[in-house]
Amino acid sequence: MLSFLSPLFLVGAAAAALPIVLHLLKRQPEARVKFAAVKLLKRAPVEHTQKRHLRQLILLALRISALLLLALAFARPFFATGAALGNSGVTVVALDTSLSVSAPGRFERAKQLAKDALGRVPAGDQVGVVTFADEAETVARPSADRVLASAAIDEAPAGYGATRYRAALSAASQQFNGRKGTIIVVTDLQENGWDAGDRAVVPDGTTIEVVDVGAMPPNLSVTAIRALNDRVVATIHNAGPRARDAKVHLAIDDRPPATVTIPLGPNQTGEATFAGAPRGTSATVAVDDGDGIAADNMRYAVLGGADRPSVLVVSTSGDLSRDAFYVQHALAAGARGNPAFQVQGVGGTQLSTWSEDRLAGQAAVFLLSTRGLERRGRELLASYARSGGGMLIAAGTDIDGSIVGDVVGAGSTLSIVTANGSTRPGPRALAPTDVRHPVFQPFAGNAATLGFVTFQNAARVGGSACQTLARFTTGDTALVECPSGDGRALVLASDLNNKWNDFPLHATFVPFLHEVVRYLASTRAHASEYFVGDAPAGVRGVPGLATIESAGVPRQIAINVDPREADPARISVEDFQSAVTRLKSEAGFEARVEARQQEDRQHLWQYALALMAVFLAIEGLLAARTA
Amino acid sequence: MPWAAHDRPFLDPAVVARLGTLELKARTVVEGLLSGLHRSPFKGFSVEFAEYRQYIPGDDLHTIDWKVYARSDRYYIKKFEEETNLDCHLMLDVSGSMGYGSHHAMSKFQYGACLAASLGYLMNRQRDAVGLTAFDESIVSMLPASSRPGHLLALLVTLDRLQTAHRTNVAKPLHLLADTLTKRGIVVLISDLLDDPDEIIRGLRHFQFRGVDVIVFHILDHDEIEFPFDRATRFEDLETNEEVMAVPGAVREHYLAQMGALIDRYRRDLGACGIDYQLLDTNRPLELALLAYLSTRSRAL
Repeated sequence: MLSFLSPLFLVGAAAAALPIVLHLLKRQPEARVKFAAVKLLKRAPVEHTQKRHLRQLILLALRISALLLLALAFARPFFATGAALGNSGVTVVALDTSLSVSAPGRFERAKQLAKDALGRVPAGDQVGVVTFADEAETVARPSADRVLASAAIDEAPAGYGATRYRAALSAASQQFNGRKGTIIVVTDLQENGWDAGDRAVVPDGTTIEVVDVGAMPPNLSVTAIRALNDRVVATIHNAGPRARDAKVHLAIDDRPPATVTIPLGPNQTGEATFAGAPRGTSATVAVDDGDGIAADNMRYAVLGGADRPSVLVVSTSGDLSRDAFYVQHALAAGARGNPAFQVQGVGGTQLSTWSEDRLAGQAAVFLLSTRGLERRGRELLASYARSGGGMLIAAGTDIDGSIVGDVVGAGSTLSIVTANGSTRPGPRALAPTDVRHPVFQPFAGNAATLGFVTFQNAARVGGSACQTLARFTTGDTALVECPSGDGRALVLASDLNNKWNDFPLHATFVPFLHEVVRYLASTRAHASEYFVGDAPAGVRGVPGLATIESAGVPRQIAINVDPREADPARISVEDFQSAVTRLKSEAGFEARVEARQQEDRQHLWQYALALMAVFLAIEGLLAARTA
Repeated sequence: MPWAAHDRPFLDPAVVARLGTLELKARTVVEGLLSGLHRSPFKGFSVEFAEYRQYIPGDDLHTIDWKVYARSDRYYIKKFEEETNLDCHLMLDVSGSMGYGSHHAMSKFQYGACLAASLGYLMNRQRDAVGLTAFDESIVSMLPASSRPGHLLALLVTLDRLQTAHRTNVAKPLHLLADTLTKRGIVVLISDLLDDPDEIIRGLRHFQFRGVDVIVFHILDHDEIEFPFDRATRFEDLETNEEVMAVPGAVREHYLAQMGALIDRYRRDLGACGIDYQLLDTNRPLELALLAYLSTRSRAL
């Protein structure tokens, strides 16, 4: 369809009336002369009169055409497609395929409602179909083919994902491409579809209609599994108006399942405890519920010690009880006697014998000493950091700043100047620069407790690429974070062995180290449970157990549905509409940009000007012959 | 310094057209012409003595009576009664095409009538018998040649009553008149000659066969000669009412060529027959036509 980048110039086409007006004004009434020698004229080529008349009409047409082409060229015409095509309306049906509409009969009803909505779309509008759960997928692009759209609805499968209205509205509005559009959302209006404070943005003028599939039927669901030392606890939710007895089954690996029955009141959550559960690698909990949603009747969990991150402590000798006594015990501390982390010590010399894969299995590395750390060991640590590993460097007496520079990486500007042990400039305290940083998260609102730690001595650390996380009360840098490839390094300007400070003797020491490990390990997190929508690459988004490779080591993970999908809470259509923001400029701007790009590619104005030049040349030749 | 005939200022046809009657027009034209001539055109025209008159500069020395001079020591010239020795027939075309002339002072018909009146006046003054034949496709009016007193008035009245109307057929009246002539004389044809040239020339030669001198005044309007039209025009034939739509710019060249060929044809063929041919533009003075006549008249004697 022909569109114009600067349609106002088309007003100039009115100038085409100028030749017509001149033609009419200059047109004289036909002269009549009574003449004697008409017989001599009869022998003349009087047929030229008609030719001349025709020629004048052609001249007029050429002049009008030239002016029209000039106006056309200035209006920057182009054949609009996609975003630049803005005339016909577009209606996109967004069909909810989340877990919550997968109860028996409900998804078929949703499809029928979607097709009914298609039938109500005004003739001439293009129709498209988007299905959505965690993510939205365009299954039928906007077109005039309604049969295609209807077939796309028929073929849409129910999914296991959670409801995300924002994804649906975003994907649907992208189909408008600057045109006026309507989004028909066919959904069960589940409240969890909007995250807290979440808002969807659609182009201004977009009409949103909500077609309600209806409330969720009574449903039992397994919302969580916790594996404790001697038992497995499953959380069961009864989403229904009446009390029910939930029959829960636990299967560990391939062993026969154990079954317990718990009573649940209306809309109540209870726990099913399987005491004395045998050890194993994976557990599956199922609840009997024939009427509700099937996919949330089962939940999977990966058991075993693989959950505990391993922390490698590099010291002078590798004997942690001697070189890193406080660090070892702080990291080993855990709730109910369970160590939070697996701690492993290695000397600088022995580290050279490690392989990259072995080191890659560590959630974090504490570098407490560079003594004996040879080139191989430095390269190993540098490679670990570049590939996303996290290191804590305690710049104490055993740290050589130049070696740390090699470890953190050549690109880093980190410098450590270890303090002279003979000079003791005096006590100082630690003060976080930004308490919102993850390593200070346990102290949020109570950061002053870190001020009780007394630092007698400290190294000077810093670097232009490093971010200061904490300073001493003297103003010197206490803790910095330096990037190193895909990884990161935290550098504490003091030791962790109760030599230059009394940090290990304070209660803040253990949570600080735990948060440091969690922060350092976050880039290489080894989660064992994923929601369907967050399943790792290569793993199908269906509930169940799967095996993935992590740093070359295969490990088992559990894929579960989002338990929030079992929540029957609904919102009203008005609340749904109020969560949508209509932006005026965005769609128009995108359409204009698209239109300009298309016009730039086609540059039809050049052809129009060339044609105008041709017309003017013909007009000139013809006018010269007519004069 | 005496005037030469071709130097003197003639009367503009526009001036003549504003004169009241045809007689006055004719008198003005003829007297104006004759008063400027150095020599009397009447020499030898008559042999009967009339009277003596005192010599005035400009008179022919041959007419001085030397005997009277010897007796009275004064110059006297002899004047003679003029005699009619020619029959002159004016043939005036009154067809519709002669009515053209809207852009100028006189139409071709008016110009031709004025010319005929002037010639009649001139002839009557010379005592020549003058007759008038008006014709279109046939003879419309005919006045036999006569030199009687009062004949001029009859001729002028006849001219005054003529109107243009019908189609042209020049040849037919020519043949008719030629058949009726019994005496040698002069036939003056005043017409726009917009007819078949072959027929016209054949008709004129008919007079020659009968020993009659012929002088042809071919009267054309200035627009017919120059074709000055500049915009598309629907031309309507004055005789047939036939219409032709033409763009002058496109047809001018062809028209002028046609008209030039027609004039050349008459000039060439009539000249070859010994017929005087005079093309008259209605914009040009009538005296030129009279001079042409006088020239032919003198040859005829």
